[in-house]
Amino acid sequence: MPAVLKSAFLLPLLAMLLAACGGADDGTAASEELEQRRAEARAAMEQHFANQPSLRPALREAFERGEVTQEEIDAMAAAGELEPFFVFATPDDLPDDLTWQDGSDLPEFASPDAKKGGTWYTAVQDYPRTLRRVGPDANSGFRPFILDDVVMNFGQRHPEDISIVDGNFRYYPGIAESWAEDKVNRTVYVRINPAARWSDGERITADDVMFMFYFYQSEWINEPWYNNFYSRNYVRVVRYDDLTFSVTVPEAKPDMLGRVLGLEPLPAHFFDDLGPDFVDRYQWRFVPTSGAYVIRDEDVRRGRTIALTRNPDWWAKDLPFWRHRYNYDRIHFSVIRDTAKRFESFRAGELDGFGLNLPDYYYDRLPDDDDLVARGLIGKYTFYNERPRPTYGFWINSSRPLLDNRDIREGIHYASNWERVLREYFRGDYTRMHTTADGYGEFTHPDIRARDFDVDKALEAFARAGFTRRDSEGVLVNDRGQRLAFTLTTGYENLQDILTIMQREALQAGLLFRVEVLDATAAWKKVQEKQHDIQFTAFNVGPEMYPRYWETYHSVNAFDRAFLPDGSPNPERRPKVQTNNLQLIAIPELDTLIERYQASESAAEMRAIAFEMEEILYDDASFVPGFVMPFYRVAAWRWARWPEHFDVRLSRDPLQYFLGWIEPGERERTLAARRSNERFEPIIQVHDRYRPE
Amino acid sequence: MRLNPLTLRKLKRFREIRRGYYSFLILVGLLGLSAVSELIINDRALAVRYEGTWTFPTYGPVELGADYGLEGTAARRPVDYRRLQAHFDEQGDGNRVIMPLIPWGPYYNDAVGGILRAEPPNFERGHYLGTDTTGRDILARLVYGFRTAMLFALAFTALTYLIGVTIGCAMGYFGGLFDLLFQRIIEIWSNVPFLYMVIIIFSVIPATFSVGARIGILLMIMVLFSWTGLTYYMRTATYKEKARDYTAAAQVLGASTGRIVFRHILPNTVATMVTFVPFTVVGAITAITALDFLGFGLPPPTPSIGEMLKQGTANLTTAPWIVSSAFAALVVILLLVTFIGEAVREAFDPRQFTLYK
Repeated sequence: MPAVLKSAFLLPLLAMLLAACGGADDGTAASEELEQRRAEARAAMEQHFANQPSLRPALREAFERGEVTQEEIDAMAAAGELEPFFVFATPDDLPDDLTWQDGSDLPEFASPDAKKGGTWYTAVQDYPRTLRRVGPDANSGFRPFILDDVVMNFGQRHPEDISIVDGNFRYYPGIAESWAEDKVNRTVYVRINPAARWSDGERITADDVMFMFYFYQSEWINEPWYNNFYSRNYVRVVRYDDLTFSVTVPEAKPDMLGRVLGLEPLPAHFFDDLGPDFVDRYQWRFVPTSGAYVIRDEDVRRGRTIALTRNPDWWAKDLPFWRHRYNYDRIHFSVIRDTAKRFESFRAGELDGFGLNLPDYYYDRLPDDDDLVARGLIGKYTFYNERPRPTYGFWINSSRPLLDNRDIREGIHYASNWERVLREYFRGDYTRMHTTADGYGEFTHPDIRARDFDVDKALEAFARAGFTRRDSEGVLVNDRGQRLAFTLTTGYENLQDILTIMQREALQAGLLFRVEVLDATAAWKKVQEKQHDIQFTAFNVGPEMYPRYWETYHSVNAFDRAFLPDGSPNPERRPKVQTNNLQLIAIPELDTLIERYQASESAAEMRAIAFEMEEILYDDASFVPGFVMPFYRVAAWRWARWPEHFDVRLSRDPLQYFLGWIEPGERERTLAARRSNERFEPIIQVHDRYRPE
Repeated sequence: MRLNPLTLRKLKRFREIRRGYYSFLILVGLLGLSAVSELIINDRALAVRYEGTWTFPTYGPVELGADYGLEGTAARRPVDYRRLQAHFDEQGDGNRVIMPLIPWGPYYNDAVGGILRAEPPNFERGHYLGTDTTGRDILARLVYGFRTAMLFALAFTALTYLIGVTIGCAMGYFGGLFDLLFQRIIEIWSNVPFLYMVIIIFSVIPATFSVGARIGILLMIMVLFSWTGLTYYMRTATYKEKARDYTAAAQVLGASTGRIVFRHILPNTVATMVTFVPFTVVGAITAITALDFLGFGLPPPTPSIGEMLKQGTANLTTAPWIVSSAFAALVVILLLVTFIGEAVREAFDPRQFTLYK
């Protein structure tokens, strides 16, 4: 409070001072300073365009390992040994024999019945800490609404037709009008739609693509991951004219097209004063977008509410694949931290929708015979989707004592009673996960089945490791008096019930889990420092074509110098921290397969290698696959409407593809009906077109 | 033991205050019952008669199914006595299982109707207060949670008094530099935020520590940060007694410091201290419940009243029996202790013989 008071006093004071100084002079000085900044920013960008070399993957890896220094690379670049990353060419340089495609044969997926208008009220757990899309704090729960789900790419993967044709997923055009692929030269050519505009009315051009690469490679954005990703996974960008460019990638992977079409240009004119103070300067500035929703300054009430507003002049509003989507005029977010409170707000009609994924909410807190549901005022929807699944399960640290014994790990598999949890806690709604990469379509191993709970097999496996006797508490001990007890850590407080159930079940087989529930950040820190015994956690995965293995299973992410030069395990190796190899797997033949997988350019070969790797991982038994949620469930008030099939195959939640709308006049009618005891037909829908067998 | 007639009079006075005295009897009774709660409310059998011999598994090691002639996987699993009972009844060979009055343990996940969720009280199944969100019996968890909380509170009280009284007494008796020094130490020490210390220390304790060890550590931390409050009362009381003629007389007679402190000063000051005891107990119970509620207490799935309150508030509308059981239990315990406290204070209050006009 005092701070507010102080600023209330300061403001008039400041105004008086400004008036005394004379506004005109000040304005000139400010604009001169801005001009100065812009000139510096332009110079820095041009210098980067001129000097940034394109590193071959081998050279880049050597640089990362410290075998090549920055000076040596600079020297090589100066000597002209390295190709440039940024190339400015002319339209004549464009190859003639390209086959341009535009995905126009694909079906549209939005409903023509959709009506524009209305406000969608929803809640977030935390207020976004910044409106930047990159940099510190940008990777928050709010990011989908300013980036992932709203901003347009050059082309997007079709969310219904998930087939692979000519080694590519199917893409429909976004900012791109058409594209052409040159597999031999690992290059994708893109033509930008001439109608494409930023939300501030400026044209989207190839310069915005060049700028995007510069921006993501810049150290000023304070994002090492982006710096690495945009210089490692792309080797060249060429501008042919205002609307045509090409991007070259290091390997012609099957999803090469997707890697280029998935790029999002950035408005170069908006960032024309980019400098080392980017993080602070752009903290609360909304970036002009190619998408349908903008955030207006007056809608940012920090700490309380924020709203997206539909841009009525959005350039793509009548574009195929984009029309009939993004129908709400406004999407209003308020901050409600507590889930139970969010639910009560929803029931009171203050929020329009609420997620019902947990069985407890679906069956007990909002049962079908709940007054609001039975009277048809609130609808319940279940939508079975088909997408790569987050990897919920037990991640066993195989470098720990006892856990380095494969028999014990196998025993832990058999002693983990996921069946009971799925049947009695999740009430049969969720299904068992079987591999380390479920939901990747033809890249998911079709035959591997997770080991079922089996006390006899668990006891056998533990007996092979020397654990044959039970102590007075029923926990197995070996001849040296070690107990078969491991710490089972999790950061998912709302899922801790699962662990207490599994703890009781594991005791049947003489295994003791010491359950440790930490807050999410502390749990993640523990596992990143490889301090865990067994961690119950999951990686979220995007809808990629094929699973990643290098991050989680390559030995370079397990240990510093995992092997001696002769190939034997290094006895002095130490766990490598801050990587995703949580199981500390280091198997030379798996490394070889991962490297072949990464270099492979054929989908069939990659599939074969993926299956082989899955079999090795199954035998290694250091990941106990947990559960898969094959659907999402929501509740929404009666005025919310969706297309006939509700949503698309790849969707994660209803605010991802924005196919829903609000029926005009229905909100008032529903609220009046709630007061007058009027009844409607109940809405309880299960959309199971994509339900697995 | 021969009690001081004054003390006898105080005890008599305590007995006369009915509310406090009966509260005391009830609490002692509850404590006594909870000490043997394994015999009353447990999922392990009281006694098993198998092939003519009786065994009493309650306090023994975990038994496997093979001990009772079970076959297949069941032979290698720990015995589920309720199933064993059904099995024996079915066989009808004279084998018998006698289960405790309430046959549920605090950890047993009972899936009523094949689903693990909070079930309302169900007398037929023996869940007299219902179950929590994973099908565990609430009464069982309350009883075991109560026992832990009470033991914790009593140990806490004993330890804080030991330290507080000793240091306070020494400060008052020796006075001077010693007093000055300890006053400053206490001032600094009592400004360390206790809750943060608990959070910090608990974040570095490895999970390999057993539940008992963790309770011990929690107890130590709480005692370390709670003894300071008592010292000031004790210090003042000692100063007052030391200035009295009888202390001077004892000194003149050549009594040792130990004798003066233990025979003369302590018995005369302890009356004031005793009145605080029940309220310290209340404070300790509240503190451990609050810590559990915040998630910094005992590791899951240890039964505790705080954890149950937390679960209850999260399921307020769908499972009101969780929060009402925990809340009622907490209120009853705190009321009993407070009534005792009031009675003790009244009984030990010297002013009852004084008339203010």
